[in-house]
Amino acid sequence: MLKVENITKYYGDHLAVDHLSFEVKNGEIFGLLGANGAGKTTTFRMIMGLLEPTEGKITLDGKKIGYDITDKIGFVTEERSLMTKMTVVDQILYYGILKGMQEKEILKALDEWLARFKITEYKNRKIKELSKGNQQKIQFISAVINHPCLLILDEPFTGLDPINVEMFKQAILDLQKEGCSIIFSSHQMEHIEMFCEKLMILVKGKPVIEGYLKEIKKDYQKKNIFIQGNVTKKELEKIEGVISVEKTANEYIVKIGSEADIDRVFKAVSQNKITKFVVEEPSLNEIFIAKVGEAYDE
Amino acid sequence: MTSKFWYLTGLSLKKKIKTKWFVIANILLVVLIIGLINIDSIIQFFGGDFDQKTEIVILDETNYTDIDQTVNHYIDEYNQLLTTEYETSIKTFSGSQEELEKELIDNDKIGVILTNDEDNYLQAKVVSNEKIDSMVYQLLVQALSSTKTEVAMSLTDIDLEELEKINAPITIDRIILDDASQNEDENMSLIMGTVFPTVILPFFMLVLFLVQMIGTEINGEKSTRSMEIIISNVSPKVHFFSKVLASNVFVITQGILLIIYALIGLALRHVFIVDSGVTGTITSGISDIWTTLSETGFVDQLVYIIPITLILMVLSFVAYSLVAGILASMTVNMEDFQQIQTPIIMISLVGYYLAIMAGMFEGSIFIRILSYIPFLSCLLSPALLVIGQIGIVDCLISIAVLIVFLYFTIKYGLKIYKVGILNYSTDKMWRRLFKAAKSKNI
Repeated sequence: MLKVENITKYYGDHLAVDHLSFEVKNGEIFGLLGANGAGKTTTFRMIMGLLEPTEGKITLDGKKIGYDITDKIGFVTEERSLMTKMTVVDQILYYGILKGMQEKEILKALDEWLARFKITEYKNRKIKELSKGNQQKIQFISAVINHPCLLILDEPFTGLDPINVEMFKQAILDLQKEGCSIIFSSHQMEHIEMFCEKLMILVKGKPVIEGYLKEIKKDYQKKNIFIQGNVTKKELEKIEGVISVEKTANEYIVKIGSEADIDRVFKAVSQNKITKFVVEEPSLNEIFIAKVGEAYDE
Repeated sequence: MTSKFWYLTGLSLKKKIKTKWFVIANILLVVLIIGLINIDSIIQFFGGDFDQKTEIVILDETNYTDIDQTVNHYIDEYNQLLTTEYETSIKTFSGSQEELEKELIDNDKIGVILTNDEDNYLQAKVVSNEKIDSMVYQLLVQALSSTKTEVAMSLTDIDLEELEKINAPITIDRIILDDASQNEDENMSLIMGTVFPTVILPFFMLVLFLVQMIGTEINGEKSTRSMEIIISNVSPKVHFFSKVLASNVFVITQGILLIIYALIGLALRHVFIVDSGVTGTITSGISDIWTTLSETGFVDQLVYIIPITLILMVLSFVAYSLVAGILASMTVNMEDFQQIQTPIIMISLVGYYLAIMAGMFEGSIFIRILSYIPFLSCLLSPALLVIGQIGIVDCLISIAVLIVFLYFTIKYGLKIYKVGILNYSTDKMWRRLFKAAKSKNI
């Protein structure tokens, strides 16, 4: 289990991370979100032992992060961290040995992963000769070759087509099943919603939202109502509690301020002939934009 | 962590030695070094217009007997010291000066008109259609001078032994009162003007290789963002020293290879000379320099000059690699890397020229102080020691200064390195460097 306890990081006078605490249990996928410069990379670097927190401590399975512990951590960085002049096998051997693995063990695991990602034929090719998607697969393999107990995924789906995203998704879920703790970071909120039960949104190094995704959505008062029928935008906008109305090709999306407004909207539109009235939780994307935007305004 | 250190060192070396660049560079070096040492044999092997002898036509207007044969004798004698490229043939011309000049028009013949000289025994005119090859001209001048000497000897009744005594240089017994300068010799400056550049040029070249290797390695790992993964598994200290060790082992290996190539070249030369029975100008040049060095006691001094030079060179390699590595850690792309190379190369170049011109600054305190400065000392100190402008004590000071410099470079440089390798700031590179040096939070 990863335990981040009250960590703070200053770069000179600049506060990059401000009293941050969270836990990622074994087999849990934790979403760490934030706009650019929110402190995610600094947090990852502290977890990886690359930076020392100014305050607070980070432990993995009760042990302070050190070079004996980082051997058990895998890291897919946002930007590709591969030496493109190396062959696939040399690159994986390089990272594997740095993680304290034996050559035989690395080659066995590499063959399995290459077969799983259907790129066995690229084993002896130089990385620069591979497509972006295949390079991303090698990047992923380099992070998981050591069967990590903690895996940090920073924008892992970059450059992947939907088929490969599916392949990665399955691999991540399998690692989760094996008990690997995963920290997932992405600007694609649908990816976060796909994997993370628990998440945290950072703004200026501080969490503005944290907890289980369901609860976050529930606690977020605003809801979306999808309406199809004989109503006009003007009529909908006049209803008390309606924040905004958006017209799509064949329906209206009505944003309301709280659950209490649902009845009021239903009563108002039910007098007309309507074929659809569906209340949905807001998307994580909406929550992110609203919360991060609010925090920046402050 | 120790095994990771050796793995990183080995990998860096393997990456460097397995590159096409290394193989091509070494093939070129082998060909170049062996070729230069055996250039005369190669020229001979490929052949050319070597059989065409330069025809010298002598018009004897003196009243001395067989003067043309004397000239011919001396030309033959001096010809043997040269390669066959400058071979000549002699003909005696019977006719007037005008007729001789007519015969020389539109060909390569050289005309020599010898006349009596009341004051100087013999006078010569050398006539040709165009300019003469300088070596042939020198040969002719030597032969004519010797002919004149022989004429003078016969007219004044001086025998050869007497003449040798007259021509022999004055015997000078040098006494130097300063004990530290006992082994100095004024001839050394001249000799070192030819010997020392040959020794320091490869060193300068190896410094370039060293800076290139460590810089490219670190810059490559950083610009591909692999550094974060590497540094999360090994400490920056281990990473840094693995690069320093690998680059130093590489240049020392390359240095040894250069020596081996030179030895192969000399061995081949020996084989060619024995086979052909020809003694070339390079061989005689080398042996001349060696004889002079032995006579001046320089060879005896090599006992301490070689170890001091080697120590200074190895320590300087380490210093260059430390500084290049630290600066490379601040780079984020190839342009940055090119920026950091320039000052290092410039410093090395200054040392190179100072070493070559060392003999010109005799007694200069400024040059003596410069010889203590790291990066310059490896080139300048041995040069000044060889020509006797500094003593062993000065070299030991240079070594001590270098060791102190290494200590502080490691102490403060590592701090910059730790910050630098993870710094992708868009600030100007030198600003990033100073910020990193001041940084307290790593």
